[in-house]
Amino acid sequence: MITATELHEKGFHVPRNLGELRTFLQAAMEVEHLTIPVYMTGMYTIRPGTNRTAYFAIRSVLMEEMLHMTLAANLLNAVGGRPRVGRAEFVGKYPAKLPFSSDDLPPVPLQHFSPEALRTFLRIEQPRSMTPPPQEGSGWTSIGQFYDALRQGVLQIVDREGERAVFPPGREHLQVGPDDFYNSGGEVFAVHDTKSALLALRVISEQGEGVSDTIWDSNDLIFKEERTLAHYFRFNEICTGRSYGPHDRPKDLPSGPLIDVSWEDTRPIHGDSKVADYERFASTSDVYARAVEFNSRYAALLTCLDRAFNGKPRVMALAVPTMLELRDRAGQLHHNPHPDPALAALGVFASPTFELGRPQFDAAAQAVDTDIALAGFETGEPVDLSALTPATGETFA
Amino acid sequence: MTEHVTADAAARRRYDIVIVGAGWAGSALAQRLGDKGWQVLVLEAGNGDTDTWPGFLDTLSTFRSAVAKVPNSAYRPNAAAPSPNVLDLAPVRNPRPGEPEFTAGGYFVQNGPLPYGTDYLRALGGTAMHWLGAVPRMRDEDFETRTRYGYGRDWPIGAAELQPWYAEAERLLGAAGHGQEQYDLGVVHDSRYEYPMQEIPRSYIDRYCKEAVEGEVITDPVAERDYTLTLYGLPQARNSTPNPRYRTDPPFRVRGAVGLPNFGERCVGNASCVPICPVQAKSLPLRIQAAFPRSVTVANRCVVTRVRRSGERSVSGVEYRTYTDPASPVSRSYVVEADVVVLAAHAIENARLLLFSELANGSGQVGRNLMDHPTVLSWALGAESKGPVGPFRGPGHTSGWEVFRFGEGRRRRAPFRIEIGNWGWGWATGAPMSNVATALGIGGDEHGEVRPDGVFGPELRRLLGSSVGRQLQLQLAVEQPADPGNRVTLDGRHRDAMGNPRPVITYDLSEHVRDGALAARAVAGEIFRRMGADDFTNHAPRDGVPPLGHFVHKGTDLAYSGAGHGAGTHIMGSDPATSVVDADQKTHEFDNLYAVGCGSMASVGTSNPTLTMMALALRSAERIHDSLATARRPVVIRTPDTTEATA
Repeated sequence: MITATELHEKGFHVPRNLGELRTFLQAAMEVEHLTIPVYMTGMYTIRPGTNRTAYFAIRSVLMEEMLHMTLAANLLNAVGGRPRVGRAEFVGKYPAKLPFSSDDLPPVPLQHFSPEALRTFLRIEQPRSMTPPPQEGSGWTSIGQFYDALRQGVLQIVDREGERAVFPPGREHLQVGPDDFYNSGGEVFAVHDTKSALLALRVISEQGEGVSDTIWDSNDLIFKEERTLAHYFRFNEICTGRSYGPHDRPKDLPSGPLIDVSWEDTRPIHGDSKVADYERFASTSDVYARAVEFNSRYAALLTCLDRAFNGKPRVMALAVPTMLELRDRAGQLHHNPHPDPALAALGVFASPTFELGRPQFDAAAQAVDTDIALAGFETGEPVDLSALTPATGETFA
Repeated sequence: MTEHVTADAAARRRYDIVIVGAGWAGSALAQRLGDKGWQVLVLEAGNGDTDTWPGFLDTLSTFRSAVAKVPNSAYRPNAAAPSPNVLDLAPVRNPRPGEPEFTAGGYFVQNGPLPYGTDYLRALGGTAMHWLGAVPRMRDEDFETRTRYGYGRDWPIGAAELQPWYAEAERLLGAAGHGQEQYDLGVVHDSRYEYPMQEIPRSYIDRYCKEAVEGEVITDPVAERDYTLTLYGLPQARNSTPNPRYRTDPPFRVRGAVGLPNFGERCVGNASCVPICPVQAKSLPLRIQAAFPRSVTVANRCVVTRVRRSGERSVSGVEYRTYTDPASPVSRSYVVEADVVVLAAHAIENARLLLFSELANGSGQVGRNLMDHPTVLSWALGAESKGPVGPFRGPGHTSGWEVFRFGEGRRRRAPFRIEIGNWGWGWATGAPMSNVATALGIGGDEHGEVRPDGVFGPELRRLLGSSVGRQLQLQLAVEQPADPGNRVTLDGRHRDAMGNPRPVITYDLSEHVRDGALAARAVAGEIFRRMGADDFTNHAPRDGVPPLGHFVHKGTDLAYSGAGHGAGTHIMGSDPATSVVDADQKTHEFDNLYAVGCGSMASVGTSNPTLTMMALALRSAERIHDSLATARRPVVIRTPDTTEATA
């Protein structure tokens, strides 16, 4: 079980000490990551070249979830914790119960691009202002509420123990900075004191749910970037097929120009498919082998991030090509019919399963650490992956 | 996003400076002068929208659906402001001896013995929309080939004076490179110079080539000299990782996409920089435009037709026409006035404007000295035993052999730079699409029927793997010196849809350049031999059809392609009798008319010219600012007498 789920089950509370704060931050990373397979599936099932507005909207949110995960890692490192990403306990199982949300919500499944998928996305990103306020000891209601609890926790613990005790010196080298992380709204930055910690939490919650009862995030205020819609509202535009107008409020339906959304331009999948299901058809379809490979490469990605968050920020340069590889691998799976002929007959396509266990991570750790040793990835040095080129003379086909 | 005004709004007021063209040079000048507080108007002939997200996506789709992925293939044709296209040229089957072996359609009229196979783009952002992003500096000797090697023209300024401007241009463009290596190459003077970003990783092909022939001594049969091969990386205006050793206050930050705030990445090796980088890692003038101060006004679809003269040594502004429907010949004419007029519309367009305005041509040099880098392509398949070379990964090229660019060999033949191509035989044969067609049996037999030996499925994949995976291509860019016979002229009979005169191009390669091309081809062949690669280069006519740019030199069939590096048409010099502009790019004949861009260059060396053009533009911006500031100062300045007031 992931830390976030454990924490969720203990009910709503504000972290009371440094240990709890670190647990909360580990959970924060898990929650951010939990959304990634969901959004990835929604995005990569769009038929290439169609639904571009939707594609780039989902992509922009996905990129920002990665930013949030990285900011949470920076924060966890700053308070003396150790981000743990490259292990099976980091990854949820789908359909996944969304931590820190109402227990009445159904689990989050992997879904192809569809109105149902967008409704799931909206549920994930639902702003606090649309949910009833929480009571201490009662259940959780929203991820926004979780981040607010984190904010209160940071403030209270710093008040009690002093800033220096909470943010010990000598941890600067663990921070991932803008040199190594890029390409999202907002920017990653080093966390080293209460101020930067609160800013990190603010970026995370305001990109997700918007600034104080508006539909906008705070990228303009914090990063001097163009103001963009908060995640919930970006998804709502696709869901309703209409963009927001300049004066729309969070509770309004979008009133701006129409957006071209074609729900039929999607590759339907059976989100509950497991590798074991594909294995039954391994003799007739390559999907099984490809799905297994996808999972092992996804484990490699998380292992790269683990190393990047634990003293080698330059390893991000290995994580990015792995992400691109996963994009291509996901595309290949979604291009192929589901190996089960009964499902294929219904027009269902194959999909990655995101089943990651101990064996995948053990194998990934070995491969990634070998690559890191070869490429060096010393902080400040130019990125050079040429040592990783396999000298196999592998043929093309 | 950049704010744009209509043609009407643009004409409603006076400006300090009007700039013709919103490409690299025009954008840099506008930003610099706007930042100093001057009121600047930028007139762009082409369409806007390249700076919006839908515009960018449209460009991507246009490129992806294009059959021939030529540089202009990503950008929609515009009859009101037409652009030349490399597809405008066609070979002549069985040409008669002494007659041109090509015909030219499209925007250019061509009447020379050889084709000018170079294009440019008239749209917001200019030709930079499809530039590769290569930003090598020129070396000291490139600025004085006449003095040192007895050919071409010397510049009125040298490399030393341009060093700080080069550095400034590299900051503005966002260049990624290896400072020490460029110092070793002799193009950077400061031994501790750092580029704003760390160099773009070299390709696998670079490594493959380096391992195969590094340190080999190659004899150039034309120069009759030996050259030792040393691989150098290419500085590129492409996002990589900020260099921590570059200035730290403030540190260099990677700039992202234009039109969408949460997009724009670092180079991840998409192999389509030309015509468009799908992740916007490649630097574009649109980034400068997005940061224009309020004092800069941009108007698209404003085709400048004439510069207006107001006195013996001054111009008063420009006349321009605007269109709404590019397909119709209807346009409206306006006049806008400014204290300074800057032409930054591309070498050929600048010349066209000056010629049509009948201005600044006392030397008779306007339109003359048209240059390019005639590029001799050589292609081969890597040895089967060495496995695939990994083509179509990364920017167009990331390394090259530089040794043939410099030194005494230049006396005997034009120098050349050897680019190691990362895109297989794309330029030479249209690979990989041509390989797919061949493998499928498309292209047909002599009766035009689909050949029966086409393959598909796993066999097609295997065939493509073996035919595409080992493709090596060397692009040998030969220096073309200023030659007054290569020129742009106007002819009232040839006009575009709006009624503006089309450029008439007369182009040829001199003996010196042909010698350079011959040497380049021989050297490439020898390099392939040393690598154990199978040389497939063939510049001879096939079935009576010569390749474009074909010529026979000293018994050898050769062919060149245009590099898109138009230059020289308003050449720089200190003598008004033999040059058009001075070292500040101000026309000799007018105090307030500037012609900027590659047209000013007295030579192009063997470096892609954008960086040098930008260094010159930034230098000119400073000079224009000085001249305007000087002109605005009152003649007599008296300090108010304060003694009485306080008494």
